[in-house]
Amino acid sequence: MKQYMSNLFIVLITLFAIVWNTPVLSAEKTFQIRADGLACPYCAYGIEKKFMNIEGVERVDFDLNNGVVSVSGTEALNLKESQLKKLFNDSGFTYRKIVQVDVK
Amino acid sequence: MVIKFQRRAVIAVTLVYFLLSDNAFAHDPIFSPGPHVLFKDGVEIHAEFSKEKKAESSEDERAIAVKYGITGDWVIGAELPYQISEEENITESGVGDVVLSSKYRFWREDSLGEQSSVAFITQVKLDSGNERIGSGTTDTMLGFAYGYESLKWYRWASMRYRFNQDSSIPSSQFELERGDRWFVDLAGGYRFQVNDYLEADTVWLLELNGEFAERSGIGDLTFADSGGSRWFVSPGVMWTLRNFAFKAGVQIPVRNNLNGDQTATDYRARIEFEWHL
Repeated sequence: MKQYMSNLFIVLITLFAIVWNTPVLSAEKTFQIRADGLACPYCAYGIEKKFMNIEGVERVDFDLNNGVVSVSGTEALNLKESQLKKLFNDSGFTYRKIVQVDVK
Repeated sequence: MVIKFQRRAVIAVTLVYFLLSDNAFAHDPIFSPGPHVLFKDGVEIHAEFSKEKKAESSEDERAIAVKYGITGDWVIGAELPYQISEEENITESGVGDVVLSSKYRFWREDSLGEQSSVAFITQVKLDSGNERIGSGTTDTMLGFAYGYESLKWYRWASMRYRFNQDSSIPSSQFELERGDRWFVDLAGGYRFQVNDYLEADTVWLLELNGEFAERSGIGDLTFADSGGSRWFVSPGVMWTLRNFAFKAGVQIPVRNNLNGDQTATDYRARIEFEWHL
């Protein structure tokens, strides 16, 4: 009995550790967005700030060489074309298209 | 009385010139304006430290400015300077005239990693400063600025005209007619390495700044020692990290064609700090 309880305890601890260290309990969605006019990182801050004000957005990254803005957030995050056009125009750039959407 | 007035008038004109000689915004050259504006609803805090040396005299200015992005193509701002002027062992200091500014970018063309744009610039220097430091006038400047920026190269060109209001002369029915000024600027920049967004970014700058001043005078009389033209070559650097910018530069005179007996500028230096919020 003692041995049984000990083994059960070890299994439970192991399962708990796996679950605790597994980041994907909820899915993450990432939008890859093409935009033009992005020539300097200092200028891109306005884009980051506006995206971070959108509910569900958790992270914004920039690939200046390819003109791609990556926006990551919760699975429920949904970005519309009209919304993106306005956001980039208000930031001083030109939205082109959503290149890719990943859900993990 | 005429001689004393002339010296004070020249000091005032020079100080005022220093205030309105440029319109430093965001990612633009240091001693001349560019077309760059601020994102909509963005706020910019700008601190600037400038120095001009002329033989035995010098003028230092510290200024703080706040700018707000009304739209993605239109920014307005207000600047408050504090000036220290030293000439012939006489030091005068105080709060200078408030400067209100507006920049509207009316044309923009974006492509992958590139942006070209043109903006219309207006500035109004109010008669609000310390009596010893301020010009006692409200002056207006209008101009245009063109800019091209890419991941490696930058280029700018601008032209501005400043309308100097006539100023009253104490105990006199006459007014001092302060000569208007033209400013013509060319600038280039180069980024040796394109880093990631959250890494520091450095752009090296080189400007050619031209200034053309009309003579000042009273009625039909013009001051012999006023007006003229001069050119500066101005190397500088712009360093940014996410929403913070630092700029530093020096103006070196390369050609002076000043009328009469005027003291030429030895150099001008400037450093700027900027935050986008």
